[in-house]
Amino acid sequence: MLSHFLQRAGIATTGISLIREHTEVIKPPRALWTSFPLGRPFGVADNPDFQRDVLRSALRLLETAQAPTIEDYPFDAPAGAAAGVWACPVALPEPDASDLERALRTEVDLLTPWYEETRRRRGRTTVGMSGATPEELDAVVAFVIACAEGAGFAEVPPAAAGPNWIHAMPILLRYVVEDLRAFYQEAVVSRPGADAPSHHELHAWIFEQTALGRALTQIGHQIAAAGDPRLVPMRGFIIPEGFWKSGVTWGTPPAGENPVAFIHRAQPYLIGEEA
Amino acid sequence: MVRLDDLHPEEAEGMRRAVERFQFPELSSTPWVTPPPLAESTIALVTSAGLHRRGDRPFRFGDAGYRVIPDDIDFAELVQTQVSVNFDRTHYQQDVNVVLPRDRLHELAAAGEVGGVSPWHYSVLGSSPNPLNLEAAAGDMAQRMRDSGVDSAMLSPV
Repeated sequence: MLSHFLQRAGIATTGISLIREHTEVIKPPRALWTSFPLGRPFGVADNPDFQRDVLRSALRLLETAQAPTIEDYPFDAPAGAAAGVWACPVALPEPDASDLERALRTEVDLLTPWYEETRRRRGRTTVGMSGATPEELDAVVAFVIACAEGAGFAEVPPAAAGPNWIHAMPILLRYVVEDLRAFYQEAVVSRPGADAPSHHELHAWIFEQTALGRALTQIGHQIAAAGDPRLVPMRGFIIPEGFWKSGVTWGTPPAGENPVAFIHRAQPYLIGEEA
Repeated sequence: MVRLDDLHPEEAEGMRRAVERFQFPELSSTPWVTPPPLAESTIALVTSAGLHRRGDRPFRFGDAGYRVIPDDIDFAELVQTQVSVNFDRTHYQQDVNVVLPRDRLHELAAAGEVGGVSPWHYSVLGSSPNPLNLEAAAGDMAQRMRDSGVDSAMLSPV
C-alpha cells in the first residue's frame, strides 16, 4: 500500500516483492518479485555483487515500466558454503526440564563467549529491541523465566527490574524474547567453520533442542491459561507456526467476532494502552 | 520460495487471510509517476522492517508513524522492533544491506547508474493490523523526500 500512497504524493516507486500473491492483489506501480525467504529482500548477507544486481534490477523498472508491472527476478539466493543439515556448533547439555531457570542460564553462560566473539567481529549486535543492553542479559533471562513460571503479563516481573524497558507490557515480553533469540542466533554463527542456519533450522533448534524453546513453549501455555483472548495473538509473535503443538499459535477470534475487528480490539491491550 | 504454498500451511493461510480481510480502496486510481532517467534520479530507501536508531521511540504494534534513518548512519546504531517471528533475521544480523541496501545504492551512484542518494532513508513497521493506516505517514515522507530532492523511492519489505 505504501507504494500507492507515495505515488499519490508524487514520488515514483519501485520495490521488492517477497510474496507474489500479495503483490498481485496490491498492484504496486513497479515490483521485482524475488524467490528469497521472508526477511531477506536483497537475497543474501555479505554478497555485494548479488545484492547490487537485485537492487539494479528493481531500480531499472523505474525506466522500463510504462504501466503497473511485476517482473520476476530470475535467480534464487545463493546457498551457504556448506549446504546440508545445520547443527548447533556449541555443545549444549540436554535441557533439564526439572529446573528450567538453571538450564536456561547454563545455555546462556555457554553461548556468551561466542556471542561476544560475533559482536566483536561484526562491530555490532542486534540485541537491544526491548531496551535492555547486552550487558543486562541477566534481566532478560529473568524476565523470560518469570513469565514462563506464571508471573503474569500485566507488569514487568520484579526479578527483571533494572533495564530501561522501552515498551509496555504485555508486548514488551515479545521484544524481551527476541533479544534472547538474537543473542542465541548471533552466538551460534561465530564458531569457526560454522555455517549459517536457515530460518527454519533455527526455529527447529530453538524449539526442539534448547531450554530457551522450553521456556517459550511454557510461556505459550501461560498465555493460554491467562484466559484473555486479546493476549493470544502475542503467542503467534513468540512461537512460529508449526512449533506450537496445541493448536493454532495465533489462536482464533472469539466465536462470532470478525478477525479484523478482534485484532483491532486486541491491539491497544497488547501495547499497554488498555488494561 | 516464496509462494504462499512454500510456507507452513498455517502461515500461508494467515497470509492469504491478511489480504482477503482488507478492502483496498481505489487502487486503480493511483496516478502513474514518471521519474527522471535513473542516472539523473535521487533515490531514497524505504523499508518495512521496523528499523530505527537506538534511542528513537521504538515502533509499537500497529504504529502508524515512520522513522528516519540518516544515510551516513553507523549500522551498529540500528535496532529492529518488528513484531513478527515469521521472517529470517539471521542475514540482517550479519549484514544490514540485505534489508536496507544503503552501501549498494552508493556503489550504483558512484558508478553513475543512479544520480544520487537521499540524505535520509525511511522505515515503517510492517506486520500491521491495518496497512491502510500508513497513508498519513507516506504523505509526510513524500513531502520530506521532495524537499530533499528525492525523485524515487525503493521499497524493501521483510
